Amino acid sequence: MNQPKRSDEPIWWALFSAGGVCFAVVIPGLLLTIALLYPLGVLPENALNYQQVQQWLLQDWWGLAGLALAGAAICLPLFHAMHRIHHGLHDLKLSSGLLGKILCYSSASLFSALALYFWWQGLG
Amino acid sequence: MSEQHSPRRPYLAPLTASWWLKHRYYRFYMLREATVLPLLFFCGCLIAGFYSLQQGEQSWLNWLSFMAQPWVMALNALTFAASLFHAKTFFELFPRVMPLLPAPLMIAGQWLGTIAVAALLLLLLGGVL
Amino acid sequence: MEKTVEKTLVIQRYNPEQDQRPSQQRYQVPFDNSTSVLDALLYIQQSLDPSLAFRWSCRMAICGSCSVMVNGIPKLGCKTFLREYSGDLLLEPLAHFATEKDLVSDMTLFLQHLQAVKPYLIRQEQSAATTPATKPQPHKQTPKQLAKYRKFSSCINCGLCYAACPQFGLNPEFLGPAALTLAQRYNLDNRDQGKAERMPQLNGKNGVWGCTFVGFCSDVCPKHLDPAAAVNQGKVASATDFVIGLFKP
Ligand code: SF4
Ligand code: FES
Repeated sequence: MNQPKRSDEPIWWALFSAGGVCFAVVIPGLLLTIALLYPLGVLPENALNYQQVQQWLLQDWWGLAGLALAGAAICLPLFHAMHRIHHGLHDLKLSSGLLGKILCYSSASLFSALALYFWWQGLG
Repeated sequence: MSEQHSPRRPYLAPLTASWWLKHRYYRFYMLREATVLPLLFFCGCLIAGFYSLQQGEQSWLNWLSFMAQPWVMALNALTFAASLFHAKTFFELFPRVMPLLPAPLMIAGQWLGTIAVAALLLLLLGGVL
Repeated sequence: MEKTVEKTLVIQRYNPEQDQRPSQQRYQVPFDNSTSVLDALLYIQQSLDPSLAFRWSCRMAICGSCSVMVNGIPKLGCKTFLREYSGDLLLEPLAHFATEKDLVSDMTLFLQHLQAVKPYLIRQEQSAATTPATKPQPHKQTPKQLAKYRKFSSCINCGLCYAACPQFGLNPEFLGPAALTLAQRYNLDNRDQGKAERMPQLNGKNGVWGCTFVGFCSDVCPKHLDPAAAVNQGKVASATDFVIGLFKP
């Protein structure tokens, strides 16, 4: 019997899984604090002041905290999301071909690179 | 036996694109998959945040006021709900994919992780740490 | 006991020699607490309409041949009881498979997919064992080794999981829950040495990677195998195999 071609899905699945962990573990706390409680005024006014956040994300520890945040809250979740969208398009019979796959993962790569670029720029 | 004389004529009902509307279980699945849509919005917010942070203080303040806009907060509240729903489904799947410890233990451990991150951020931003 | 209460069964009919497409027919069936869907079908065939076609054999959830859709959900007819339903019952042949006649499905694809993963013990020395000098040895297995795959070993090949799986419905080439579960079952068996022969099937896009963990297969499996878990454990195995493959010429 002819053998099927090995799928490259393990790569995307690994990124999807890592992103899924971030989406479940990191994103809720982040949303709760910076996107809900802070704008609601529950947290102190200066909790997100410019100098403080700059120092945390871009100066202390050579900006590694910023890199970790970009990775765990932007890049990996993006790959998680685009993986589900890629398969979702197939589920909805909107696309099953290579084009959808390329569009999905290249946009995830592009926006990940953008986030990392801004972080890099910020290091100054 | 020749094909022509076979009385067989199997009928296959076509699967329509709306198959997932037909059953509760499938709708639940689609809802789970759809949690990534609000996630994309929040990722966009964060990319903008990184951009404004390296642009300077005024830009950062603009980003903060953008995040405080009612429609942004409403979307992020939705994202928050989606992230918790995703977490519930994801945590329950994990012990089935990698049965390392008894499932309830693994599920509890993962929730503990989520709570720990939230608590850490609260303490940090609350000025306690 | 006198059967007095009746229930309406709406059954999808299709006669390949006459019909262009399936239609529905209603039957009134007397029932009591112990009347299964299969009992009701047998009653219809014997007392109301001898032309009704359906499959069955064991009547005790062992042979896996009485699979039908009941109100849109794949079920074993002999393990599903009329008392569980408050209204009418809609019976259709298994979803995602072609219908031969009435409630009889064409299971060819299912059987092909099962075959593709070589669901039997493969031993390397088997060919050598044909010489009379090397007597075949019994394979030993500890309870711990048994426990590794036991959960996945009680499949009755009923095909309910395929009727529950939209990925199989969307792509009939997808090997599907039962086949991938059986592959995992033999890969986890310490007596087996055929993993290398099975992995290429699992590694393909129609192998484990065709699955998106919808999970409905595990819900409908009458033997509670949790096929969705088996398939996704297969993803871990396939991903590991992928990494190993990177380092091999
Ligand atoms: S895995 Fe379960 S549902 Fe699927 S064929 Fe086997 S017994 Fe039936
Ligand atoms: S008749 Fe054998 S499983 Fe139902």
